[in-house]
Formats: sequence, C-alpha cells, structure tokens
Amino acid sequence: MKEILYYTWGAIVSFVVAFSVGITYMGLNRKITARVQNRYGPPWYQNFIDVIKLYSKKTSIHHGVMHHMGPAFIMVTAVVSLLVIPILNGNKFFPNLNFQGDLIFLLYIMVFGPLGMALGAGQTGNPNSAIGVTRGLSQMAGFEIPWVMALVALMIQYKTTSIVDLMNVQVESGRWLMFSSPFAFLAAVMAMLGMFRYAPFDIVGAPQELASGPMSENGGKYLFVMMSAGSVFTFAKLTLYVDIFMGGADNLIILVVKTFTLYLIPMLYGITSPRYRTEQSVRWFWGWPSFFGLLAILQAALF
Amino acid sequence: MREKATTLYIGPQHPGITGNMMVRVKVEGDTIVKATTEVGYLHRAFEKLIEQRNWLQSFTLLCRFCVPEPDPVEESYARAVEELEGREVPERAKYIRVMVLELARIASYMLWYGGQAGSLGLYTVGQWSVGDRNYILDLFEELTGGRVYHMYIWPGGVRRDMPEGFEEKVLKTMDYLEKRLDDYDDLMFENSIFKKRTKGIGIIDKAKAIEWGVVGPPLRGCGIKHDVRIDDPYEVYDKLDFVVPTHEGGDIWSRAQVRRQEIRQSIRIVRQVIDKIPGGDFYNKIPNPQKWALPKGDAYARTEAVRGEVGMYVSSDGGTHPRRAHFRGAAYVHAITLLEDLLVGENLADISAIMNSLGTCPPEIER
Repeated sequence: MKEILYYTWGAIVSFVVAFSVGITYMGLNRKITARVQNRYGPPWYQNFIDVIKLYSKKTSIHHGVMHHMGPAFIMVTAVVSLLVIPILNGNKFFPNLNFQGDLIFLLYIMVFGPLGMALGAGQTGNPNSAIGVTRGLSQMAGFEIPWVMALVALMIQYKTTSIVDLMNVQVESGRWLMFSSPFAFLAAVMAMLGMFRYAPFDIVGAPQELASGPMSENGGKYLFVMMSAGSVFTFAKLTLYVDIFMGGADNLIILVVKTFTLYLIPMLYGITSPRYRTEQSVRWFWGWPSFFGLLAILQAALF
Repeated sequence: MREKATTLYIGPQHPGITGNMMVRVKVEGDTIVKATTEVGYLHRAFEKLIEQRNWLQSFTLLCRFCVPEPDPVEESYARAVEELEGREVPERAKYIRVMVLELARIASYMLWYGGQAGSLGLYTVGQWSVGDRNYILDLFEELTGGRVYHMYIWPGGVRRDMPEGFEEKVLKTMDYLEKRLDDYDDLMFENSIFKKRTKGIGIIDKAKAIEWGVVGPPLRGCGIKHDVRIDDPYEVYDKLDFVVPTHEGGDIWSRAQVRRQEIRQSIRIVRQVIDKIPGGDFYNKIPNPQKWALPKGDAYARTEAVRGEVGMYVSSDGGTHPRRAHFRGAAYVHAITLLEDLLVGENLADISAIMNSLGTCPPEIER
C-alpha cells in the first residue's frame, strides 16, 4: 500500500513538473521570439496566466461527445507518454512504466492524440477544423517515416525495444547515441520539427489560411485542456529525445538544460522560417530526413 | 472520383485578408475551383461626401481612401484642383511633396513586407518592418502633426514648411532603413521556403494584365514598364534620377522583387530631394475656403501609389463645392477582377499570399 501511494505521489509530481517545465518553455518561446522580432514580449510566466484564464472561462458551445472527447484524447496521450518515458536515470520516485517494447508502444500512443483530435474536430462541422485535421494527419504521415526509421535503426543496432536499455547503453559506454548513431539522431531531430508544429510546419492551424484550424470551435476549458496537454507533451517528447540520444539525465537541472537545448532547435528554426504548404511539408520529411533514416538503418544493419 | 466541394468564407474579419472584405472560395481538396469577392463592408460614400464639402474640407476624407498610403490621394486631388484653377505651386512645395510621397511609399512597402511575409507565416519580417515603419511615421509626425493621416499636401503647396534640422533626420532614417533592407533580404528573399511559396504562384498573364488595367507592381511584375512618375511626370519627378524596376514572371515572387527594388529607388529619390530642394515659399495661399469658387470645368490628375496608378477626377460648376469627384484606385481591379481569376486553380494556402502580392486596399474599392 505504501509503495502504491509512493508511486502515485511520484506520478502526480512528475505531471506537475512536466506541466510546469513545458509551459515555461512555451512562455520562453514567446519571450525569445519577441526579442528576435524587436519586441519586448510577454513575461515568461504569461502562459501560466493564460491557462488559468482559460480554465476560468465558461464553455457554452458543444458539438457532441466526440468534440468533447477530442481534448481529452490529447491529454491522455500526453500523460500516458509521460508515464512510460523515464524522466531521470535510475530514479525510483518518478514513475517509470518501462517495459520491453515501450518504444513501439510510444510510436502508437503518440499518434493517438492527434487521431482523437481529428474525430473531435470532425464533429464540429467547421470546414476550417476538418481541413486543419487533414493537414495534420498528412503531415504526420510525413514526419512519422523518418521518426520510425530512426527508432528502428536504434532497435536493430542495440537489439532492444526498451528506452531504459538504450539509456543503459549510453551510461555504460559513456557515449551518447547522438554520436554513435548520428544518422538516426539527424532523422529524429528533423522529424521533431514536424512534431512541434512550429514554422515551417505550422500548417495545421495556419491563421492566414484556416483561422485556427482544428481549434476553431474550441474555447475556454477546451483550450485549457489542450494547452495543458501540449505543455506536458512538449516535456515528454523532449525527455524522450534526451533519453535515447543524449544519455538521459541524472537530475532535473541537467534534464532542463538538455531538453531546453533541444527545444531551441524547432523554436529558432520557426522564428526564421515561413510556412510550407502541406504537400511541400510532406515532401520535405520524405526527403533528407528519410534519407538519414535510411542511412541509420543501413549503419545499424551493416556495422 | 470527384471530390466534394467545400465553401469557405475568407473574411470579412480574417487574419488572411488585407482589410474588410471577403473572398468566398469553393475548394475541392486544397484546390480552389471558384472564387467570389464580396465588398461593401466599408462603404462610406466618400465621393458623395466630397460633393457636400468645399474644395478644402475634403482632405479629411481623402486620406482615408487608403490607410497605409494616404498621401497620393491627397496629392492627386490637390493637383486636379490646382489644374482646374490654374494655380501655381512653389518649387519648394513640389520637392516637399515628392519627399512626402516617397516617404509614404517606403512606409507602405514596410507594411507590405509585414503582410506578404505574414501571409506565409514569416512573422519576424513583419514585426521588424512594422517597427521600422515607425521611424518614418516619426518624421511624418514632426512634419505634418499626424502619423498616419497627414492632410499635408493641399491646393497651393503644402500645409507647413519643414522644421529646422528635418533634412538631417530624413537622411539618417534613410541610412538606417537601407541597412535594414539587407536584413529583410536575408530573412525573406534569400529564404528557400519563401521562394518555394512564391515562385509560379498567382501568375498574371501579361496580355490580360493590360486588358484589365492592372497597374503598379503587379503590372511591372509582368515585365511591363509602366509608372506614372516616368510616363507622365508630375511635381519634380522629371528632375530626379531613378529607375523603374520590372521583373518577368508575373507571379508573387516577381511582384515581390519589384517592390524590393522600388524601396531602394525611393530612398534614392528622397536623398536627391534633400540635396536639390530650393528655398522660398512652400505655399501659394488660397482665398478664404468658404468663398473659394473654382472656374467651371473639369480636371484629372494621376499619381503613382504603391498599389499602382491612382487618379482623381474633379468637376466644377463654378461654385465653392465640387460638382463631382471620382477616384480611380488600383485596388478595384486588383482585388475584384484580377483576384477572382487568379485564385482559381491555386492552393487554399496561397489565398492570403496572392492577395497581399496584389496590393489590395478595400476602402479604396468602396469609395
């Protein structure tokens, strides 16, 4: 019983940490973007204020059960991913539902949220939502290819489908996988640009084209759930990359430094890039990122 | 199997629209099969209101024809009135007018940078250019008292002379902006994604451009050299050295290239004006406006604005008020006739980019 309480408490704390760090990163994104753009920008904690404001709003527009469940699917995806991804090396407090095959499980669960959102947006009947969802799924078909290739390369090379095993390989060899499997890292990082949906891959909710896309019919508490889930998922995705390519982290400070360094890549690329069209985006992911993914698999199979 | 068409309403309040108007598009997948523009959200009956006012009072309306660049409308009206009356304008006033027109052109292009880059999701350029535009608005504020609406160019010259030290400030601002243009080039024009999004998109057929009366950068982007400042020089443009850039292709990229080069030409013109401006009067005073009657007749003056050629027709029956005033704006052709045709066959994602590249200004349509 005591052990269950301990792990439950750990799960709650990890959710709070993931939410706080994720939303702070998004706030810093707004601040850094503003400074690059010669603006003062909002304070780094503005997103905390926004989340509270959204939560306090009354929601009076409903489009049915699936629309209601859409944001919930995203939150479920974020939380389940977080629980499966090891947060710190060898730490017992933060929950770790690691098992052989968790990498494959993550590949599936990470697309569950967008699919749920697609069902929710579809029920709204708003064409902007439907087109946004179609774009999102098309783009996902783009970046999933190099992402899967990168993970398959690691699975072949190290003969494991466990994240913890990959972390242990790095701890034992003293060498991060980003150096021992550079092509897999390149393919994965390029795929990450699509996962974050910052420019040039912000095609889903492109304001000038689709108003706000799938979120067109969502307001108040729906946005609160989506924003919170987005924060948790941001942290989860970055932690996953740190775990499998950058040797994980021994404490939270190192984790924050590593994850933020990674986060700078999509953020800075986004600040200086216009937006692709849908087919251009998919084509981009099926170009160099997939090529690096293929090289990674060849490297893993031949060497 | 044919896809089911969906109707989308882009506007009248939409981040992708340049003002208050709507484009109703029918799309199959991401491809536009039909586009219909709808205007009328901004109609304020400018032309009718001008008839109700004396010859001077209309200037508070004229500047509202196009918010981003109000000065060419003031200038064309003032020149039409001067032509009608035969009123001489002092040489110094002509130079000041050209300086104001070119500063307004640069300021307007700064807004275009924001609109064009923003329509493609590159918000950084827009934030920079709108910020840099403020330096020109500072100059306008010092010269005219107003940042956006100036009511500065009026019959007989300009409303007030340049303040002391103004020339130096103008030159300093031009030096700054010229350096900043290099940053814009690096981030926007040298960007491979920007090239991919603009090349081959929204192509205007050269023959159709002439047939429909397309003007300004959209026409020059088809490789046709037409600019009122050269073809029918007004004020002191014939005494200044500048070139009219053109570009072949007729697509968004070509129009962007024309504008990119025109800003540098405007900076060049402003420097020449500061260098050559003579002393003397800045205003040939008109009589009491309430009693100021113009001889019977009509006149038409045309000016090159950023959107292209704009023109003002005024007619007098010998009274203190215009009998008729009519404004010819570039936006009517660009945002209605041309846009509806250009959008068909294009991608839904390109609506905003095409619209921004044409230089549409809805209030100018609904006059």
